[in-house]
Amino acid sequence: MSVNLQKGQKVELKKSNGGALRRVMVGLGWDEVQQSRGFFAPKPQDIDCDASAFACINGRLADVSDVVYFGNLQHKSNAIKHMGDNLTGAGEGDDEQIMVDLASLPMNYDKIVFVVNIYQAMQRKQHFGLIRNAFIRICDAETNQELCKYNLSENYTNMTAMVFGELYRYNGSWKFNAIGQATQDNSVGDLAKRFA
Amino acid sequence: MGVNLSKGQRVSLDKNMSMALVGLGWDTNKYDGGADFDLDASAFLLGANGKVRKDADFIFYGNLESSDGSVRHTGDNLTGEGDGDDEVLVINFSKVPADVQKIAITVTIYDAQVRGQNFGQVSNAYVRVARMANEGDMTGSEVLKFDLVEEFSIETALVVCEIYRNGNDWKFNAVGAGYQGGLEALCRSFGVNV
Repeated sequence: MSVNLQKGQKVELKKSNGGALRRVMVGLGWDEVQQSRGFFAPKPQDIDCDASAFACINGRLADVSDVVYFGNLQHKSNAIKHMGDNLTGAGEGDDEQIMVDLASLPMNYDKIVFVVNIYQAMQRKQHFGLIRNAFIRICDAETNQELCKYNLSENYTNMTAMVFGELYRYNGSWKFNAIGQATQDNSVGDLAKRFA
Repeated sequence: MGVNLSKGQRVSLDKNMSMALVGLGWDTNKYDGGADFDLDASAFLLGANGKVRKDADFIFYGNLESSDGSVRHTGDNLTGEGDGDDEVLVINFSKVPADVQKIAITVTIYDAQVRGQNFGQVSNAYVRVARMANEGDMTGSEVLKFDLVEEFSIETALVVCEIYRNGNDWKFNAVGAGYQGGLEALCRSFGVNV
């Protein structure tokens, strides 16, 4: 059974039979709100959300190479792999997916933070108030079974980036914390600075 | 350095400690941008039946000191900013009335429901007990510490610990029990009329 999380909630991630998880798929999704536009309004521009993962040592980003994003699709440990950029958020289900091989992630990495930012938000005057149905979900990649899902429910008008949640080691297993904290960062680099 | 306790652990407090500082600390708003986080520490002076003897036995930001002077709250902190203790309670053991068996120390989130906040959004929460050399010693020498970080997520009220009589001594119990419903729910369960 998948658990629906509230903001702030923490869950321990286990296989449905109680065993240790080896690989997880982190799926992130969002839809664009339909805008009503005037006759001479500028042409609508797609909202390009980008999901990224920050692999942290002692809770902090140690190196720029630990940022897995559309410009660096695979972590140097090969344990975190971004499945590719989606430019429009169109369609059902996950818009971007990140695969994490928990079993092969080096032990010194103790936390992976999942963030989404709107590409060129400032230039395109876009923000999370124009996005609905945003979610993050964690699946067991070996069975494709969903373990937990967190639907963002707050109003994030004027926010351009989002810390969705984090996977972290705790007492030898992995936990997930639904964060849902928005920021006004304009790029994944600005967002990463918060963890440096 | 004091002893680090884990949830459920009970330890005796030194007989010769006449005044103790109970410091509570936490960090909130990890990535900022959210509403202010206002956590409140409180103490309930409980009789043998586990209830307050009277409403004035509930020490909180609206009633900073018990009438007998045994438990004193040093003041409300509205943001939880900065290192170290965010809120402090002072216990003067010699002044605790004989019919008070137990002092429950709690932390609750002010206006949690409206602000959509819970303890899963709080990090580095702890309680520590320190021996005070004198009335003005607000640092004290630490006797014990109980880290609460991983115990909670969607709760809005915590019974952090209990300090209770055991014969002629006082003991500390690292309770770490979480509840929903905030301070009001705790008051009801301890028999305070709200």
